Amino acid sequence: MSELARQQQALLAALLAWPSQEAEKAMAEHVGHPWARGLMAYQANGHALAVRALGASYPVLVQLLGEDSFASLARAFWHAQPPVKGDVTQWGEALPAFLAGSSQLQDEPYLPDVARVEWALHRCANAADAQADASTFPLLMERDPDRLALELAPGCALVQSVWPVASVMTAHLEANPDFAAVGRRLGEGVAETALVWREGLRACVRETWPGEAELLATLLGGQALGPALDRAVELEFNAWLPMAVHTGLLLRVKPIDAAPA
Amino acid sequence: MKNPPNANGSATGIGWRHPHYGELLERQPDLDFLEVHSENFFAEGGAALAVLERARSVYPISLHGVGLSLGSAVGVDAWHLEQLERLVKRIDPVRVSDHASFARGVFNQATVHAADLLPIPFSREALDVLCANVQRLQDRLQRRFMVENLSAYLGWKNHPEEEPVSEPDFLVELARRTGCALLVDVNNIYVNALNAQKSGTAGDPVARCRDWLDAIPAAAVGEIHLAGHCHVSDEHGDIVIDDHGSRVCEAVWQLYRHAIQRFGPVATLIEWDTDIPALEVLLDEAARARALAEQSCEPVA
Repeated sequence: MSELARQQQALLAALLAWPSQEAEKAMAEHVGHPWARGLMAYQANGHALAVRALGASYPVLVQLLGEDSFASLARAFWHAQPPVKGDVTQWGEALPAFLAGSSQLQDEPYLPDVARVEWALHRCANAADAQADASTFPLLMERDPDRLALELAPGCALVQSVWPVASVMTAHLEANPDFAAVGRRLGEGVAETALVWREGLRACVRETWPGEAELLATLLGGQALGPALDRAVELEFNAWLPMAVHTGLLLRVKPIDAAPA
Repeated sequence: MKNPPNANGSATGIGWRHPHYGELLERQPDLDFLEVHSENFFAEGGAALAVLERARSVYPISLHGVGLSLGSAVGVDAWHLEQLERLVKRIDPVRVSDHASFARGVFNQATVHAADLLPIPFSREALDVLCANVQRLQDRLQRRFMVENLSAYLGWKNHPEEEPVSEPDFLVELARRTGCALLVDVNNIYVNALNAQKSGTAGDPVARCRDWLDAIPAAAVGEIHLAGHCHVSDEHGDIVIDDHGSRVCEAVWQLYRHAIQRFGPVATLIEWDTDIPALEVLLDEAARARALAEQSCEPVA
């Protein structure tokens, strides 16, 4: 290993190892005096960045845990699973699993699923833009659903949970439902599937309609509208369709041509 | 599109951050360019990118990175290069820059990124690595890149078999070998000089900064950064932190005057990244930089 690589590894370890005393001692052989106050500044900067970056991706989790507890969580996650990319907005995908493994949070078992919805929203906000094409919608009347595909909004994702995750999210983001109603649903263990999609440039979340999760999961799996409708037995498609168009969930209808012989 | 209107050819811009996105686009104040952090616009789509494209139709954009880790012994992340290349093609920036720093390296047998601007030693090996990474970047982007000097809160021991090299000499050699430009952050030089004075390793910080600036040839300088810093005194000791959270201090304005007298008209940026104040405050700082540039840009060397 080169001297430069040794130096850089030593400083990274002093910043990321926890506890850091051993790593700091190892680093000290590479740096000039004084170094302790400077190292502390870098450590504090890393912690502050962790709180800020994760807080931007997980704003509902901040509200649920409170700022102090969230900051402790962010610092612990920083040391356990530091970023791997130079764009810190890419960091945090593993937080739901980290939450699920936290013994301190076992009393709030819905938090990992809420975090999964938040990450889906974060990804959705940054997904590639796409425009709706209303001229393709008449194909729905003209073609066999087995020969049609539906293009959904950028970042469209489903998060299935045994907890009322969509209600938890919208209660915090849109004050609907109110917290008392969410508390009742949590107490009753109401299962919900959250739908995340982008309406224009705005990332949105809501609970799926009956049968909608089956429809969308099948479409997101790359299958045609026909089999998606077969699975969505509870869905009132004639009511869903105008809503999906109006809210930007459905962007276009695409014919699936027969495979060449 | 606004163009640099200054009689002497210099340009003055501000760091454009989220709290000012809407107001700036609405008011369209008299600025010659906007600077944004490249990584904030690496997304494939979405609101931030849409806002940047709107700004691009009004102002030239300077893309300033904080995550390339150009001094890293494990090299630059290919993913990061791809994102930057895509953004450069999309925005066609007036300048592209990052720092003479590292953040990427091995920790617990994995390659990680510490999301900070960590100092590199001014050693022959570090210079070779930095030059190779900058050259790779310039080849990829097909344009001249700018590399910024750091504020560093710790320093590396000198290599026992090498003559100590000063930071400006190190950077000048980087520019000579790669053809890159230098982005001179005057506040960073001053912060380092203040910390060196506090630790007893250097004397008058302003004199030290003048020496630093005097060691840089004018032709190598592509942009100047100005920002505020803060003094932290607690039970752990005293340190000056480059927090970009206040107005430019008088000593840094003095040094800026010295810099532009030496370097001539150079694009100048007001950076403000924490405790971001009203847009008016940034515009006021930018107006002061512009006035100084207009008064003082006769090169003296």
